[in-house]
Amino acid sequence: MLKFIIKKLLMMIPMLLIISFIVYYGLQLTGIDPINFMVSPEMLSSNKENVEALRESLGLNDPLIVQYFRWLGNILHGDLGYSFDGSSIASVIAVRLPYTFELAGYSLLFSTIIGIGIGIISAVRQNGIIDYVGRVLAVLGQAVPQFLVGIILIQVFSIKLGWFPASNRVSPDATSAFADAFFHLFLPVLTLTIGMVAVLMRYARNTMLDVLNSDYIKTARSKGIPEWKVYLKHGFRNAMKPVLVILVFRIPALIGGSVVIETVFSYPGIGLTMTNAIVSGDYPVVLVTTLIIAATMLICSFMVDVFNALLDPRVRLGE
Amino acid sequence: MDNKEIILNVEKLNTTFISDRKEIKIVKDVSFQVRRGKTLAVVGESGCGKSVTMNSIMRFTGKNAIVKAENIQYNALRDGKVTEYHLESIKEPNGPEMRALRGPDMSMVFQDPMSSLNPVYKVGDQVAEGLLQHNKGMKKDEARKLVLEMFRKLGIPDPEERIDCYPHQFSGGMKQRVVIAIAMICNPELIICDEPTTALDVTIQAQIMDLLKELQLKEGKSIILITHNMGLVAEMADEVCVMYMGRVVEFGSLEDLFDRTSHPYTRALLRSVPVLGLADGQKLETIPGATPNPADLKGGCEFADRCSECMDRCREKTIPMFEIAPGHRVRCLKFDSYPEVD
Amino acid sequence: MGETTSIKDSNKSASSSLFKRNVRKFMNNKLAVLGLVIIVVITIACVIGMIVGVDYGTPVITDMKQAPGNGHFFGTDTIGRDLFARVLVGGCYSILIGAFCAIMSSVIGAILGALAGYFGGKVDMVLIRISEIFQAFPQLVLVMMLVAIVNKRGLGNLLFIFVFTGWMTTFRMVRNEFMSLKNETYVKVCEAFGMKKSNIMFKQILPNVMSPIIVSTTTNVAFFILQEAALSFIGLGVADSTPTWGNILNAAKSVSVVTNQWWIWVFPGLAISLFVLAINFFGDGLRDVLDAKQQ
Repeated sequence: MLKFIIKKLLMMIPMLLIISFIVYYGLQLTGIDPINFMVSPEMLSSNKENVEALRESLGLNDPLIVQYFRWLGNILHGDLGYSFDGSSIASVIAVRLPYTFELAGYSLLFSTIIGIGIGIISAVRQNGIIDYVGRVLAVLGQAVPQFLVGIILIQVFSIKLGWFPASNRVSPDATSAFADAFFHLFLPVLTLTIGMVAVLMRYARNTMLDVLNSDYIKTARSKGIPEWKVYLKHGFRNAMKPVLVILVFRIPALIGGSVVIETVFSYPGIGLTMTNAIVSGDYPVVLVTTLIIAATMLICSFMVDVFNALLDPRVRLGE
Repeated sequence: MDNKEIILNVEKLNTTFISDRKEIKIVKDVSFQVRRGKTLAVVGESGCGKSVTMNSIMRFTGKNAIVKAENIQYNALRDGKVTEYHLESIKEPNGPEMRALRGPDMSMVFQDPMSSLNPVYKVGDQVAEGLLQHNKGMKKDEARKLVLEMFRKLGIPDPEERIDCYPHQFSGGMKQRVVIAIAMICNPELIICDEPTTALDVTIQAQIMDLLKELQLKEGKSIILITHNMGLVAEMADEVCVMYMGRVVEFGSLEDLFDRTSHPYTRALLRSVPVLGLADGQKLETIPGATPNPADLKGGCEFADRCSECMDRCREKTIPMFEIAPGHRVRCLKFDSYPEVD
Repeated sequence: MGETTSIKDSNKSASSSLFKRNVRKFMNNKLAVLGLVIIVVITIACVIGMIVGVDYGTPVITDMKQAPGNGHFFGTDTIGRDLFARVLVGGCYSILIGAFCAIMSSVIGAILGALAGYFGGKVDMVLIRISEIFQAFPQLVLVMMLVAIVNKRGLGNLLFIFVFTGWMTTFRMVRNEFMSLKNETYVKVCEAFGMKKSNIMFKQILPNVMSPIIVSTTTNVAFFILQEAALSFIGLGVADSTPTWGNILNAAKSVSVVTNQWWIWVFPGLAISLFVLAINFFGDGLRDVLDAKQQ
């Protein structure tokens, strides 16, 4: 088991290196010159020698591969560099990354609980009311664009009812940190959760139906154990694995979705940072945010592998 | 025969499935008795309703099935006293009354050991689960001891080690022993074996059947054996129930069935069994045609289209059962001079 | 010779009766038929709007933020352009983007999947690694990154980026199917006859994988439409001069539009949701008909 975990962890390193190089190289191709952001246009034309000296001192004339490894070395020392407007990327990320984790994490948590819960109930009480309502909601949730769901929620809950703020993460006049977080997170988390639940529910239902039709469920019933034990201990436990896999397959969509949803709610997370950086051409920021997202994705898929192994004796025992 | 002698009495069992808003009768007016300490073999082609009959009795049919019966009476014999259970009147298929019977009184061994065990739990825990369910207050290590004992009895080698293994670490034959252990662990009176060896190698089949036979002889269990293997029937059964398209067509003792074969279908079935030393040039007989789709059946005898002795009146109405000798019943108009029975 | 043609004929009649049965089966699925009808109606309406040449681009300052009515069926947008015309023409572009990207990425995914699955070994390993690197990103983030690199917001670039980032799912599916199908006896027979590898791959094996490819292409149309909408909404999609459903919705980034001019986001939002819903119904119906495993 330990060997399995270490192997999976080690495999992430070359992946990250390759990705970071591709992104680094790709962004160089855009031909945007960082000097243009640092020096005013008049300086640029009048003071060519100084600009050239600055270029040399920043190492911008070195071969690309040298620049890449210098940048990589800095990253490994915890220096994420500076954005074109001069602020330290590390300090921006330090504030905004936790916000995004909050947003994505709560959405993942709630959508998992709600989606799997409703899915399992729909399977156990097939063609019941919950099953029917769930199926209709799943169809709608997959058809309406997520940002539109966000807009509708803003329209209803912040503008018409005024219950929740329509944007931002912290209010300047907040009295309790918890209430502040709750009010600002509620709508964006709800938006992301609706989208995830739609997919998860449908999948959990189908998986659970498959499992409930299998022979070992009949064996379990033949022992005379109560139905809840049949469903939870024998049914759910076996449905967990495929559902977990699909959960992880959905994480990219969740992160992608949170990028959009952060824009809808002007929520100051990594996604909004990245979007704004792309629009304004602030490439050091784009580079760091992309890598954070890629690393998160790799860690997620690593965790799935571990979970999978824990749940399935065949993988756990290395057979 | 009184309740002490009969352990299970099924009268007029009907099971209907609803598919695409159409009702399809799968089991029709099935009646049979199982004698205590004996083996009843239920034979017939695939899809004749054998398994559905047993699942209906144990109430394992899904939600799209309607089970109706005049009587499904299980007679438990405890300390010389008989307690009657009327399974047809139990409403909830998985409610407490039915559950109390599953395990300590009636249990089932399923066809495919590969899929009958839950892949994520240790086999020992799966066997112990029923034990702990029906013996409140039993400690886990006590249960473990009993499971080990059962494994030894069933000839599972290295029980101390194997008890903590997962199903995928077992071979097919060993898995089926575990499934039998699950069925046996609560010491039930009646064991329903639904084609217990179909999915196994021939050599393993013999081992498993010997095991069942031994259990029955030593511990006096009653067994219902579902099979389409006539060789097994000859070896194991005391009584035989032949089913065709959801109906019992012939019922009687092993001798009745093999020596005084009466129904044309039973005869055809017996002729299609390969025998060692079949004379040169003698061809194995087959039953012409295929089992009809239960949805397309017309009135009259279900076997009429494939029967060599079919008469016009065979197709007119449902054929009743005739008792041609005590305990030997046949559903065929050839015997309409004998008394009709239900 | 006569015999071979008769076999061919009988094959043809068999396949046409299978086709007829599938059509009948599809027609029995009311939701799928409804989906198809909605798809056709919306597409035709959009195309007619495009051909007739409705004026979607001229801002009329005096008519800014008009509510529906008064000669503007859906009202006007923030700079006074007719919203009905914009939704129609935007529909053309959105549907074009969805259909083009779905088809192209399926074609590329199928070809690469066929190569990887059939040849296996190094080809397979390289292609799998590449697809893994692509899948290390959420697709939307990947698209955003490419938008950043390409640094120009044109329709052509967007189409290229979507196709470039969208082939992996089809690739995986086709590859896995090929892996198992290449061991089938009929493939061995073709190989024994010395048939050309490209013939075996695309004429013998590929037809067996067509059904899932068709189904996934259909649902991908919806996926790309939604993807384009999301990208345009955050301002990284096609340039504003080309209307798409997502582009029109971009106006709803402003809270004042959400509050005061509901028609600006409700109508394009409805159009996109209805169209995607219809495609999903249609795709589910197709899956029921084509997926042999479910029969």
